[in-house]
Amino acid sequence: MNQFQYVRATKAQAAIDVVAKDPNAKFIAGGTNLVDLMKRGVVTPQKLVDINRLPLAKIETTGTGLRLGALALNSTVANDAQVRAQHPLLALALNAGASPQLRNMATVGGNMLQRTRCTYFYDLTMPCNKRQPGSGCGALEGINRMHAIFGASSTCIAVHPSDMSVALVALDATVLVSGPKGDRRIPFGDFHRLPGDTPEKDTNLEAGELITAVELPASPFTKHVHYQKVRERASYAFALVSAAAALDIDGNNTIKAARLALGGVAHKPWRLTAAEQVLVGKPATEESFRQAATVAMQGAKAFKHNEYKLRLAPNTLVQALKTAAAA
Amino acid sequence: MKMQEKHIGASMNRVDGHQKVTGAAKYSAEYELPGMSYGVLVGSTIAKGRITGLDTKAAERAPGVLAVVTHLNSPKVPGFKPVGKDPSQPATTGGPLKVFSDNEIRFNDQPIALVVADTLERAKHAARLVRAQYAKEAHQTDMKAAAKDAFLPTSAQKNPKSPMADYQRGAADALQKASLKIEQEYVIPTEMHSPMEMQSITAHWEAPDRLTLYDKTQGTIGTRRDFAREWNLPEENVKVIATFVGGAFGNALHSWPHESAAIIGAKVVNRPLKLMLTREQMFTSVGYRPYTWQKLAMSATPDGKITAISHESIGQTSTYEEFTESTLAQTRMMYQAPSLSTRYRIAALNVGTPIWMRGPGEATGAFALESAMDEMAHLLKLDPLEFRLRNYTDQDPERNRPWSTKYLKECYQMGAERIGWSQRKLEPGAVREGDWLIGYGMGVGTFGAHRGSAHVSAQLLPDGTAVLQCATTDIGPGTGTAMTQIAADALGLPPEKIRFELGQASFPQSGSQGGSSTVNTVGQAVQDACLALKDKLRELAGAGNPAFASAKKEDVALASGYLTLGSNAAARVPLADLTKQPGAALVNVESKPTGNDGQQYSMYSFSVHFAQVAVHVLTGEVRVRKLVSGADAGTIINQKTAANQMKGGAVGGIGMALMEHAVIDDRYGRYVTKDFADYHVPVQADAPAVEVFFVNQPDYHVNALGTKGIGEIATIGVAPAIANAVFNATGKRVRELPITPDKLV
Amino acid sequence: MTKHPEPDGPANHDENRRTFLKQSSLFTALALVPGTVVEAAAAKLDERVADAFEKVPLSLKINGVKHKVTVEPRATLLDFLREQLHLTGTKKGCDYGQCGACTVHVDGQRVNSCLSFAVMHDGQEITTIEGLADGDKLHPMQAAFVKHDGFQCGYCTPGQIMSAVACVREGRAGSEGEIREYMSGNICRCGAYANIVAAIQDVKDGGQKV
Repeated sequence: MNQFQYVRATKAQAAIDVVAKDPNAKFIAGGTNLVDLMKRGVVTPQKLVDINRLPLAKIETTGTGLRLGALALNSTVANDAQVRAQHPLLALALNAGASPQLRNMATVGGNMLQRTRCTYFYDLTMPCNKRQPGSGCGALEGINRMHAIFGASSTCIAVHPSDMSVALVALDATVLVSGPKGDRRIPFGDFHRLPGDTPEKDTNLEAGELITAVELPASPFTKHVHYQKVRERASYAFALVSAAAALDIDGNNTIKAARLALGGVAHKPWRLTAAEQVLVGKPATEESFRQAATVAMQGAKAFKHNEYKLRLAPNTLVQALKTAAAA
Repeated sequence: MKMQEKHIGASMNRVDGHQKVTGAAKYSAEYELPGMSYGVLVGSTIAKGRITGLDTKAAERAPGVLAVVTHLNSPKVPGFKPVGKDPSQPATTGGPLKVFSDNEIRFNDQPIALVVADTLERAKHAARLVRAQYAKEAHQTDMKAAAKDAFLPTSAQKNPKSPMADYQRGAADALQKASLKIEQEYVIPTEMHSPMEMQSITAHWEAPDRLTLYDKTQGTIGTRRDFAREWNLPEENVKVIATFVGGAFGNALHSWPHESAAIIGAKVVNRPLKLMLTREQMFTSVGYRPYTWQKLAMSATPDGKITAISHESIGQTSTYEEFTESTLAQTRMMYQAPSLSTRYRIAALNVGTPIWMRGPGEATGAFALESAMDEMAHLLKLDPLEFRLRNYTDQDPERNRPWSTKYLKECYQMGAERIGWSQRKLEPGAVREGDWLIGYGMGVGTFGAHRGSAHVSAQLLPDGTAVLQCATTDIGPGTGTAMTQIAADALGLPPEKIRFELGQASFPQSGSQGGSSTVNTVGQAVQDACLALKDKLRELAGAGNPAFASAKKEDVALASGYLTLGSNAAARVPLADLTKQPGAALVNVESKPTGNDGQQYSMYSFSVHFAQVAVHVLTGEVRVRKLVSGADAGTIINQKTAANQMKGGAVGGIGMALMEHAVIDDRYGRYVTKDFADYHVPVQADAPAVEVFFVNQPDYHVNALGTKGIGEIATIGVAPAIANAVFNATGKRVRELPITPDKLV
Repeated sequence: MTKHPEPDGPANHDENRRTFLKQSSLFTALALVPGTVVEAAAAKLDERVADAFEKVPLSLKINGVKHKVTVEPRATLLDFLREQLHLTGTKKGCDYGQCGACTVHVDGQRVNSCLSFAVMHDGQEITTIEGLADGDKLHPMQAAFVKHDGFQCGYCTPGQIMSAVACVREGRAGSEGEIREYMSGNICRCGAYANIVAAIQDVKDGGQKV
């Protein structure tokens, strides 16, 4: 690992100033992904601004919903009484990710900013447009069983690895950021990007912008929720496919509202608004769920080794909905 | 000889448990030496070709860097003979890679430079600064393409009696003529041993001709021999210390390039050098279970008697070294098939050399054989257990001689009861619980009950402690504990009074820990050494006490600080008198098989594994709900550690069956699975309750202890048991491991 | 080749340092970090500044013992423990947060020490396997691992035990299934998983203080 300068920020604005001015500077919080990438030489910042001591770890109710400080740990959020009561889907998604140790390190902001786990991104000797723009996409014609079936481009077919983000996009969260030009709010669905011609950009954050919090609006999805994650082993693995399902079901087993998203299928957490619409007004039955899953899969496109995802993704969604409905 | 078995068989706690749970146990990268330097290897980024340029300037100038060793500046290693340069021999018999000896690249991530610095951070950074240019040549890493050039191993070409040679019994055309038959192909992908301790070595030249190695090895004697030869040193000048080994599963049965590199580096900087491979390097540089293609055909009579089997196999090896394993051994002896042929081939790829991985070839072969048994039973509409019973062999059909012992039938029965085999439905897909399909499967394993020779020294100290020494290692099974129990019984001392020291080449020599042979071999040597020590004490006592002089050694006992005679209560000599003179009460014994039991009997351990699995109807996830693993492994020395080994082998089998596959992108000849995020091994949540049982019947043809070995059979047969259970649950037969959700959804 | 002193060697090293300092936007940094860096810079001692950048002061408590040291910022907590303090009970099994062998407690919480820099833990309390026992008396979890044979080779064991203690403290040892899930961040390649669960259940059911 290259040498870098380490500075510890005690004020958010000072931290933002440093990173905004220096393209080789990065924030570091939990470090669970950044340190990994630095060890392998995938990212080589010359300066790290440690933001762990900034007062951004609170979980609190505000006028606009439940606010999760960007530095709240994944484990803290997953165990938080308010989160569990108001947004149990988020707690489920968080606990499906990584390991207890990593959840004790990883933060809300850092989880969202995880880079893809695409093997070509990680191996400096292989082509990767995300790591080195213009070098090509190793996965496109390579080993792509873990890769995207939605929203991919010819420059990048990687997927976003976060579980938490799948729940957050389903729950209509908003990302609060502070930057050199002041504060702004970004709807969660607009936070991450599709690869297009610029796969090196994972998100719409601008230089020096710091995530300060994520806000969740009040939601009726407090009971019928499920996060279904299919992996190659029973725990501690990235998803082949995951599905977040939240249902509001009335006394007649009719769906009043639904929120759906998939993970492991695209460069960003994949919200399924059309499939949600299919469910509204329908009975909470496997047949309805299957209809929604069919709609959800419109536009999906597989590559050489991930054709199974065209079957696994709708099935996972159906299973998530079944479990949510029964919850 | 019948010993008073007080400690043998007991569930004694491990003698090194305290060290392991407190962090005091030292592994090979954990020794503190003055002036320590750190080595980091730089690997090639092509799979085949030549290095045409190396720029090491930036690395050399980086802070703290002591040296950058490459083929351009490496000191000449006297024992390195050029690889594959003997035109009379196939290139594949060139032997282990001679690191930094030429500019040729034979596999991706082959070490091309060693960067040595004064701290680990500086060494790692500088390693990134080394740049290489190559003249690339077309590589071959695709087994499917290479299989057409597969060849009979040179060892079998030279020796038609080699177990790797083609084998045929009965009628060659039996299969052709049969009407009831199956023929299928089975694939085991490349699997990685992935021990938790990454391969590490601390090399220290204590003098220009004296080398000390703290090394991760399963064989201190073999490691000493290899590196003494490389440096043309007398063996006694090379110390090898491997007191604790953080798992290995076979991958420390070979001397690897990183070890040579560390020794070269330590020589160059003239400081102790510590080198720990990265997890990525663990995938490329220290062996693996080879990708193996198999074709198995079987015919049977309608009433379930196998008439013929043919089993072919092609495994991968490197371009410079021939690796072979006994993939087809189980097929030749497990079932009563009158006509049978086996054909073993290897194909050379631009990869590092494979090395035996737990259960080695037998586990690979058992996947094909035991899957085929299940397929044939299904075709015959027979219960797979019943089908196996109908083809049970009471003597070895390969060598036509009796088994030394075989209690496999008993294992079948005990295992079937424990798993609830009677609940298994003959028709697949018949049992569903909610969204899960439930199935049962079984698989059988066997491995030779090998015993070699070993030396053990035993000494009684004045404080009444018996110290035994042997160069053997303990990679996890609990060797030190088992040996302490054997010695305690043989000497009649409490285990607290026994100290068994292992893991140093300077101790009396033994073979490597592998092939389930340690207890059979070293255990017997320990018993023999203890008896010899008692006899030595008798002899010493006899100098002043005629009762001892004329006594038989079996009559001698150690009791409460005295040497006594069972037949003469009056005869007793204080042990303190016998240990006064330093070194007096010391014996050094060589123990090896005697007689011709090895020629008269076929000696094998046997295991059977029963699995109950659940397969999710929508997601294709497989969960092993329960495993029952039973073994006919002879005398069990320690129930607790033996059961632990069986459970661990079962977990290894779950990995093999459900998740482990190392994948190369053939365009680059480079692994895309290179850490535990890409290459999955079972975690706690994957591990079911494993119920273990032992027949625990001694086999005195193997040795006087009656042991047969456990380590390998714990894994052999597990993967097919799970695959067969998946078939029983779903009706889907997966013949290419692992059984990941994509293959079932 | 051995690095012999050469005319351009040390000069080059200095060059590296100067470039490094330039790139490091020293003055912005000064606004953020007081301490040694500021003092060194104020004294205009280039070498000391450079040293200060290569090694920064760190004060933390490990197993109850205060340590005041200097470290390179790029030293991970794991490598710092193993290579500088020689606390080798904490193991390196992958170095990427994928195995759990390096698990330690930071301010009482279990974390992977391989994925954070030591310098990030200034002022914090670290507990490693060496700090778990009370003198010669094993911690109940250590004793249970011995009793239930919750290991084979022993390499993952310190991480398993640190994780197991946390698992009980977190209240995640309620059932076998819960233990399995909440211990899944610690790989044991020997496969001693069932015995590890038995050890944790024994401690949990024994009601001893962990």
